[in-house]
Amino acid sequence: MIELTNVSKTFSGQKILDDISLQIGTGEIVVILGESGTGKSVLLKHIIGLIKPDQGHIKIDGQDISRLSERKLLNVRKKIGFLFQEGALYDFMNCFDNIAFPLREHTRMKERVIKEKIQKILKLIDLQGVEDKLPSQLSGGMKKRVALARAIVLDSKILFCDEPTSGLDPIRSRDISDLIRNVSKELNCTTVITSHDIKNSFRVADRLILLGKGKIIADGNRSFFEQSNLPQVQEFIS
Amino acid sequence: MKSFFESMVNIVRGMGDALWFLCDILGHILCGRIRIGEVLKQVYEQGVQSVIIITLTSVASGMVLALQGYVAMSRFGAKEYISHLVALSLVRELSPVFTALVFSGKAGARITAELGTMNVNSQILATKTMGVDPVEYLVVPRFLGTIIALPVLTIISEIVGIAGGYLIGVYEANIPGAFYINQTIKAIRYVDFFSGFIKVAFFSFIISWVCCYQGYFTRGGSLGVGQYTTKAVAYSYIYIIISNTLLTKFILTFWG
Repeated sequence: MIELTNVSKTFSGQKILDDISLQIGTGEIVVILGESGTGKSVLLKHIIGLIKPDQGHIKIDGQDISRLSERKLLNVRKKIGFLFQEGALYDFMNCFDNIAFPLREHTRMKERVIKEKIQKILKLIDLQGVEDKLPSQLSGGMKKRVALARAIVLDSKILFCDEPTSGLDPIRSRDISDLIRNVSKELNCTTVITSHDIKNSFRVADRLILLGKGKIIADGNRSFFEQSNLPQVQEFIS
Repeated sequence: MKSFFESMVNIVRGMGDALWFLCDILGHILCGRIRIGEVLKQVYEQGVQSVIIITLTSVASGMVLALQGYVAMSRFGAKEYISHLVALSLVRELSPVFTALVFSGKAGARITAELGTMNVNSQILATKTMGVDPVEYLVVPRFLGTIIALPVLTIISEIVGIAGGYLIGVYEANIPGAFYINQTIKAIRYVDFFSGFIKVAFFSFIISWVCCYQGYFTRGGSLGVGQYTTKAVAYSYIYIIISNTLLTKFILTFWG
């Protein structure tokens, strides 16, 4: 369970998040929608503790992370997977080592067990045979798949995806959206995705939240959005 | 007036950030958060891979120093003392400074470019989100790699430089080899080696701090990586040259 209470954040006099309150239930897939610059990524970074709110509280499984020290936050983040927009894979490691990195850091698994686990995850994301390749040898879609594998390798129960379909062609965007949904459901992950890709958001989400000027404009499922008369929602989904 | 004030505020803020960053690194080291494997990897990448360029620079310096010394000292009929000139110049001054300058241009630039690229590609942020401390994993090994590699490279530079001087002394100035070596050993006292070592310890600290800081806080995409790398090397050069002057005066005042 993720819970935000009255979260506000101001950068250089500009209010990016304005008194946001929000609850995300266990196993739910939530897509945060909004135009560029509306604070989607800032909200995501607050939830993972990369940015501290000026006001308000953020709780993950009952633990208030908004006032935790950086060292304690590192421990909280071990149970969270984060898929970056560009993948953010280490370019000095091959794909196997990239995916194995969290396991080697946080578990005492033997290399044989790590290898088996990575094979299983690569099968789950339908990307076998790339273990020895460097990230620079992969296409954009493949990089995102490897990054997704790295994000879930610790059996994370919370998954954050920052603009997972940006920079991909429509087919790859659809594939990665389906993949995120399938993986989330299979692992029963609470998943929060930021996006401005409405078509794929409808495909992947249990619930959608539209942000505008730092506030929540609309919050509901696909049919709620499709039937909404709010001009901002209409403008966004049309 | 306002922009001047803002510039001053930015400079003070930058200095504060740099000091805070240094305290963070030193805190990790003092708490024992050191990854030995990563440090050794950095020693190899920064140190071992710099041996050839340091050797070339040093042998050339030693030879040039001996050639110039030969011309100058022959005028006073004191060419036998070329070995003193070469050894003292290299050990006290030239090897620490040249090695530090070459090292900051090669390994220092590499540190900044690596960390900078990782930063602009969100890899440092990704390290944090995976619950791993990026200072411990990425910065401390590079910092310690420099602290270990540069003094060792300086010793190599001194030996190779003296060897370069030996070649000129023996084959150009016709000084007997055994005499040249004997005079070199006599010329270098403990304080000479010590003064050079103080300098190189200080330089390694400066280079690692400046280059790690510039890399870790790189902004502005690939253009930013280029700018911050250039800045890191330029700042390292300036700090090495200024601190060398101050340290030379300090050492001469207290130890002679």
